[in-house]
Amino acid sequence: MRVLRAFESAGLEYVLIGAAAMGFHGLVRATEDLDLFIRATPENIEKLRSALRVAYEGDPNINEISSADLLGEYPAVRYVPPTGDLYFDVMTQLGEVASFETIDAEVKDVDGTQIRVATPAALYRMKKGTVRSQDHVDAAALRERFSLKDEG
Amino acid sequence: MPVQKFRSIEEMNKAPLPESRGSDFERFLRHCARWWAIAPKHYPRGVFKFRTIEDAQKAREKHLPKREV
Repeated sequence: MRVLRAFESAGLEYVLIGAAAMGFHGLVRATEDLDLFIRATPENIEKLRSALRVAYEGDPNINEISSADLLGEYPAVRYVPPTGDLYFDVMTQLGEVASFETIDAEVKDVDGTQIRVATPAALYRMKKGTVRSQDHVDAAALRERFSLKDEG
Repeated sequence: MPVQKFRSIEEMNKAPLPESRGSDFERFLRHCARWWAIAPKHYPRGVFKFRTIEDAQKAREKHLPKREV
């Protein structure tokens, strides 16, 4: 929650996907990472760095998160903070289709903090087409819980 | 309803889960906290860059907790 509060304070434009987003929709499973798409602009990436500096004060590794990478050759960056209990997979683009702008999201309120979370349908669309077995399990759970149908 | 009894696994799977405290997200956080407490972690600290999500996934699998056989 500390990190999510820091994201909000920094004004970071992001959408939570993955297991944390599933948790918001009542499908609870353990994870060690927080997956998020961020809007792909240099200003927003600076907000990400600012928020992480607040949450993990003094970690020099945060400076390695760069706009040149996230807007260029490396659209996926993993940050493992010094605490080691939770790491972040930050993405600007997934394949040809998924990005901050294209993922349907809703805003959830947790103790006064606004958190932007991918909708069940958006999560389902992302997860059903991957090769990762955990994604197939997640997709099946989403489909069943929310009576989702494949689009033609 | 602290104890529920079922005649079969199928019956158990169909039963609604008992009401739990807090929001879904709080349940998620508690669940993760328990997992982090019991599962050893082997992730190196720092920033790692990937060209694709698949590359990120491969790197994650390399650092999954080792299991005894």
